[in-house]
Amino acid sequence: MPSRPKQSAPIEPAAEPGLTHHALLPAGLNDGLPPDAEHEAAIVERLIRGFAGYGYERVKPPLVEFEETLLGGAGAGMANRTFRLMDPVSRRMMGVRADMTLQIARIAATRLVNVPRPLRLSYAGDVLRVAGSQLSPERQFMQVGAELIGSAAVTADAEIIVMAAESLRALGVANLSVDLNAPSLATALIAELGFDRNQTKRLRVALDRKDAAAVAELTASRGGAQFAALMAATGSAARGRAAIAALDLPASAGALRDRLVSVVDLLGRAAPDLALTIDPIENRGFEYHTGVSFSIFSRGVRGELGRGGRYAAGEAGEPATGFTLYMDTMLRALPAASTGRRVYLPAGTPAADGQRLRAEGWSTVAALESADNRAADDHAAEARRLRCSHVWRDGAARLVEEKST
Amino acid sequence: MAANDALVLALPKGRILDEVMPLVRRAGIVPEAAFDDPDARQLSFRTNHRDVTIVRVRSFDVGTFVAFGAAHLAIAGNDVLMEFATPEIYSPLDLEVGHCRLAVAEPAEMVANDDPTRWSHLRIATKYPQITRRHFAARGVQAECIKLNGALELAPRLGLCRRIVDLVQTGRTLKENGLVEIERIADITARLAVNRAALKTRPDEIGAWIERFREAAHAA
Repeated sequence: MPSRPKQSAPIEPAAEPGLTHHALLPAGLNDGLPPDAEHEAAIVERLIRGFAGYGYERVKPPLVEFEETLLGGAGAGMANRTFRLMDPVSRRMMGVRADMTLQIARIAATRLVNVPRPLRLSYAGDVLRVAGSQLSPERQFMQVGAELIGSAAVTADAEIIVMAAESLRALGVANLSVDLNAPSLATALIAELGFDRNQTKRLRVALDRKDAAAVAELTASRGGAQFAALMAATGSAARGRAAIAALDLPASAGALRDRLVSVVDLLGRAAPDLALTIDPIENRGFEYHTGVSFSIFSRGVRGELGRGGRYAAGEAGEPATGFTLYMDTMLRALPAASTGRRVYLPAGTPAADGQRLRAEGWSTVAALESADNRAADDHAAEARRLRCSHVWRDGAARLVEEKST
Repeated sequence: MAANDALVLALPKGRILDEVMPLVRRAGIVPEAAFDDPDARQLSFRTNHRDVTIVRVRSFDVGTFVAFGAAHLAIAGNDVLMEFATPEIYSPLDLEVGHCRLAVAEPAEMVANDDPTRWSHLRIATKYPQITRRHFAARGVQAECIKLNGALELAPRLGLCRRIVDLVQTGRTLKENGLVEIERIADITARLAVNRAALKTRPDEIGAWIERFREAAHAA
């Protein structure tokens, strides 16, 4: 083969051996450090406990699965975001999970197939994606979620949304709002109106942009009134509900709309103070959802905190709904981590004192060498050096004063 | 919270700004005097609305600001919005100003013997690598893009590559450089752009501004 200078690759510094700084990690991967790593783990724990309070039991699928099971059926939407590797044992392709929901669905459809429905499961774990985006560059991040499998009831949709909102509020997420969607509604309407492929593509683009004028032009011959009403319904739920409730829609799109309206009504009763918006035409970012879906936002925070909605679980297509919270965005929406109460124990502090403090919820930081055991003044300095808020002196934890400089 | 409460409108510097400003004023937003002072070095401007701030940035940066939610509303050409192609931006309104087109051009002497059906790989100089790559990939051609920020018409003459993808308004610059437009990728106009999370979390406020811009655009 004639050699040709390689042209297409972006110019990057050559990776000469020994020249890569040993702190450099691949793009989108991070070390979690104190106090953030602890903070994240504590939040995950509280979320899972909150879900348990609603009767959701935790499951733990593996990090890697066979490609066919991970990406089969509804998982196809995740195919181009999934890392693959070869299994030297079975000589089959495996995928690293890029999302956990469909793993939970697989567990429900197989190993838990005999457990009576509805089945309530929760999970937390890291996912890996082949590429980050400009907005969320993380390729590895933690997902925490819950799935309600085996019920098609509209009360199941409401339960999931109420639980998601309640857990986030309990964590202190401010200005929470939930956007309700029906990603397949516009698709169903377009199909029933019989647009050709080219028209469908153009209409889809206009709908995604929320370009009302372009939508009106493309739907002038059919469906104009319906699409205009769906577009106008975007916004606060109280207003949007009225706009779409009375709308004359063909059968399958109408059923989806009825469902959306019922969920709005149920939420209005179950969580009357939750800020609710609806957007019946939103379609982007829902990889496998089919029915009523939702995104969770916090005002002033970039991107959404989580997504969820209806999907068909497993090969049998069992009715299911659930949601996933993205810990990378969540941490941006939550109050910053605090280091908590750390007390410095000078050498010679009785073991019982340390035990009692730990039982009271303190973190104790013990001096390790007797050389550390200097005068009282130096204990304070040592406590400060080890980032302790308090020092143990005369049988009490005393606040370490900030060094005046 | 106060910083989040003001709405930020990002406007692009340059050609499009002159065409857009009458519309912004018709929509009822009047920037402070420094906005029209060519010597002012200010980047952010107060307006007659206490809760609306204007920032003036380079046209591509408008896309970045609104995609990240640093600006809630923006005016940008759909060339910029297409290049970003992110679900974080809605563009609900065509403002029908700043008309031009995004086109492929090549040297006039190449046109007679060029058969686009034989292309498998092209090298193209452009400000729009994403749009260009997508456009050619859709017809089975890989486009290797050389990203330039200006003076694209020079590229073919100096042998950097033979074809360019650029904005064309009258076609005069192309002609002066011996280039011919061979294909139109898209028609370009200025659009009102809205950040997704902003529309979801402040639907009434942002919805009202979209309506005011709609009326202003139609009144033209």
